[in-house]
Amino acid sequence: MSGPIGNTQADTMRSVTKAKTNGKIQRLSPERLAELRVPATAKTPEEKQAALKRATEGLRVNVRVTRDMYRPR
Amino acid sequence: MSPAGGRRRLTRGVFSIEDQQLTLPDPIALDTSFVVEALLATQPLHGVCDAFLKRIFDSGVSVVTSELLRIELAETAFAIAMKERWGRRWRAHRTDGRSRRRAARLLHDTILRYGALLTPVDHFPIPLGDITATAITFMTDYGMASYDAAHAATAISAGAETIVTLDTGFALLPSTQLTMYTDRSRLGSCRTKRSR
Repeated sequence: MSGPIGNTQADTMRSVTKAKTNGKIQRLSPERLAELRVPATAKTPEEKQAALKRATEGLRVNVRVTRDMYRPR
Repeated sequence: MSPAGGRRRLTRGVFSIEDQQLTLPDPIALDTSFVVEALLATQPLHGVCDAFLKRIFDSGVSVVTSELLRIELAETAFAIAMKERWGRRWRAHRTDGRSRRRAARLLHDTILRYGALLTPVDHFPIPLGDITATAITFMTDYGMASYDAAHAATAISAGAETIVTLDTGFALLPSTQLTMYTDRSRLGSCRTKRSR
């Protein structure tokens, strides 16, 4: 883990928290994750840039989307 | 960096996606709130989310999402079409068919764009059936709302220790379970929620 909590203290705390939830947090097995994996198809910087552009440019709507429009609280 | 003359503020596992020094863990989970903002050019944080997506692509990390995300995108498209036509009272017209053509076009466009968004990364779309027990644990142990619990359980079950989200509801989980990457304006409220 390369993120900001990748240290022994955090790992220790994580195991404590898991104990509080009675071990009901289930990690998917590597085999299951391998089944679910969809590999990248845009690999070069140009392909990635084009994909980002296709995904995020130009979709404009006339209202502001708020959380309650897709997720009940 | 500590604030001048004060104690270093606790991050409580909540970090800003505007922070250029932020490291990207592999894998990293995406929540619907972040994806909606990235896809829709008219949303206020579109630029911030677009830039962070580019960082994800450039970093080469893999992405975890719940299959619930596609359903929420569909609901978003439907709600947009309704709200465009009916304004604030759109919910009262949910069964009115006159907005469905616009909703279908928007939905098609949104799902195509979501597909394009995922092509530069190795992606793990996690079915709800794989995470249901963990999601229920998060609801009963931390009081999370069901959809938030499903996304959090998806992240953790797939080995992602960070979720990118604009939803403060994830702060109900302790930082030892899940780190949050969010926009700068939500740092304070998320950290406050986590301190309770």
